Amino acid sequence: MALVSSKYAFRSVGRNFRRTALSILGIGIGCTLALVTESINRGRDELFARMGALSGAGHLRVVPQGWRLRRDPRLRLADAKKALEAARSLPGVAAVTVRARAQVLLAMGTHVVALEMVGVDPENEPRTYRFVQNLESGRYLSPGERGAAVVGRAVADRLRADLDDEILATVVGKDGDIEAALFRIVGIASTGSEDLDATICQVNLEDLDAFTGYASVGEVAIILEDWRETESARAQLAARIAPGDEALTWGEIAPDFQGHMEQDKAASRFIGFFIIVIVLLGVASAQLAAVLERRREFAVLSALGMQASHMVRLVLQEGLTLGLLGGGLGFALGAPLVWHIARAGLDFREYMGTSYAFQGVFIEPIIYGDFGVWMIPYVLFIALGATLAASLYPAWFAARTDPAVALRVAQ
Amino acid sequence: MNENAEKIVVARGLTKTFHVGKLDVPALRGVDLVIREGEFLALVGPSGSGKTTLLNLVGALDRPTSGELTVVGARVAELSKRERAELRLRSLGFVFQAYNLVPVLTALENVEFVLELRGMGSERRARALEALDELGLKDLADRRPAELSGGQQQRVAVARAVAARPKLVLADEPTANLDGENAEVLMHLMRDLREQHGMTFVFSTHDPRVVAHALRVVTLVDGRVARDEEKPGEAPHEIVPGIGKAPEPPRV
Repeated sequence: MALVSSKYAFRSVGRNFRRTALSILGIGIGCTLALVTESINRGRDELFARMGALSGAGHLRVVPQGWRLRRDPRLRLADAKKALEAARSLPGVAAVTVRARAQVLLAMGTHVVALEMVGVDPENEPRTYRFVQNLESGRYLSPGERGAAVVGRAVADRLRADLDDEILATVVGKDGDIEAALFRIVGIASTGSEDLDATICQVNLEDLDAFTGYASVGEVAIILEDWRETESARAQLAARIAPGDEALTWGEIAPDFQGHMEQDKAASRFIGFFIIVIVLLGVASAQLAAVLERRREFAVLSALGMQASHMVRLVLQEGLTLGLLGGGLGFALGAPLVWHIARAGLDFREYMGTSYAFQGVFIEPIIYGDFGVWMIPYVLFIALGATLAASLYPAWFAARTDPAVALRVAQ
Repeated sequence: MNENAEKIVVARGLTKTFHVGKLDVPALRGVDLVIREGEFLALVGPSGSGKTTLLNLVGALDRPTSGELTVVGARVAELSKRERAELRLRSLGFVFQAYNLVPVLTALENVEFVLELRGMGSERRARALEALDELGLKDLADRRPAELSGGQQQRVAVARAVAARPKLVLADEPTANLDGENAEVLMHLMRDLREQHGMTFVFSTHDPRVVAHALRVVTLVDGRVARDEEKPGEAPHEIVPGIGKAPEPPRV
């Protein structure tokens, strides 16, 4: 048998149809906006994590201890073999590659460019570094190929070089001598960002080892199937690598980029919060009006012996009923919108071009929203939380009703 | 008055002063009154004489400014807000001039609501129906207040007040909004209930026809008891056919 007080709370919601409908609409629209905002937030998180990872950082990277602070490309892993085995043994790994780096001067004729040359494993590198997946001209490095290089369009332009041209690289070798080597350009990459293009110079790992004299691996980069597993995978990885090495996440490798992402997220969460506050104030006002209209009724209930705490529960129950209906409406309106954004994406090409780079990370201009089971608890949390909070003051107001005064005023 | 009956209300030197802005408005100026179990008492007096204020104090809706007031064994001035609510719930019933039923609940639910507040379980529906039956409203149990006449609404209000069998039922001008016939019916039913269940009824009124039903009449003038008359015996009354049950021998 349903409690009469529950019936009372539920039916009270329907007393003023227009006010209730407007409240539900307000909550519904608020929930829809919150749902869409959160979906885009999640989509953007995924995009940024993917972009950060595929711009060279990897979701995870094993580096020598001390690299994080010094960023010295001459540092090499304490136990590269163990690090590689540990990376490959992780669950949910999509790709693993090894790299080594060196600060070099590239020259052709009188033109010189200083950059970081990266020695790579040509078989796995394109799966972890998106900029060499589709080259503007030429081809990518082949396994075992010696003396070949892939450079960015800006590097080629600054050297006045083109495909099949030979460029001279000089480096300070392991023993402190200046070493030099010739590389033939076999491919030119164009990312659409001149800044990024000016950083690309890849050769075979064996070439770099021979060239610099550092015969070892500087890093192991890992791409995960699900970026949300980054932290748990890092913990597993850290337990399996040599003591002289450490596992970093893409956010630690590119802290400025992660900071930018967090800032973006905070701004959009603030907007979402602001929307909820506006909805909350609207509902609070409507609830307060409903309580004020029924002041006499609350006085009668108090006269009949209802405790203040019971009145608080009644008003909160009314608020929750509104929240449930508003949340349902919000879900009904928001789910198709989120579904559309998850499938078609939000296209920002008109405003930011085909792509843009930030802190060495290349960012696609289309954000795909996240559509999933999370939406149900999220909408419920927003709708019920907001209406519950909005009902607190009206509930307190109802509980303070002095029956003698309210009945005297009513008469 | 049965001098051996339990004292339900004891008021000694009871005063109540309202503060209106900077003005002090005395509503009661020292009321001495004892009400015993089973009484059927009318509070009469001109407007502003303090009838409603006295009912509010006796109903533990308000606290006295000074004096002593004991209601069903509890000293009202010493009770917290929560304890006064508990006293009203457990021992008192209220009937208001404007019925004051909850409009979104049916007649049955209005009665049931009070029983639910008292923590009554599955038997509350049967008890509520019984109370409505006593007031001749069983067939209208599923109607909402807006679907009932004024007289029927007031009878539902009486059913709500008596369903939990409180010791004391307080009614503030219960017939003021009713026509003569409905007022008569209501008074007969209240007397029936008093006789059947031994409840004590205290009601304020201006209506001489209602006063005629009272077994004791207390007249208030300017916040004081000006007259306290007791009728020598039970005044005869007829049960309205088709409404209510035939009276049983009085218990008190």
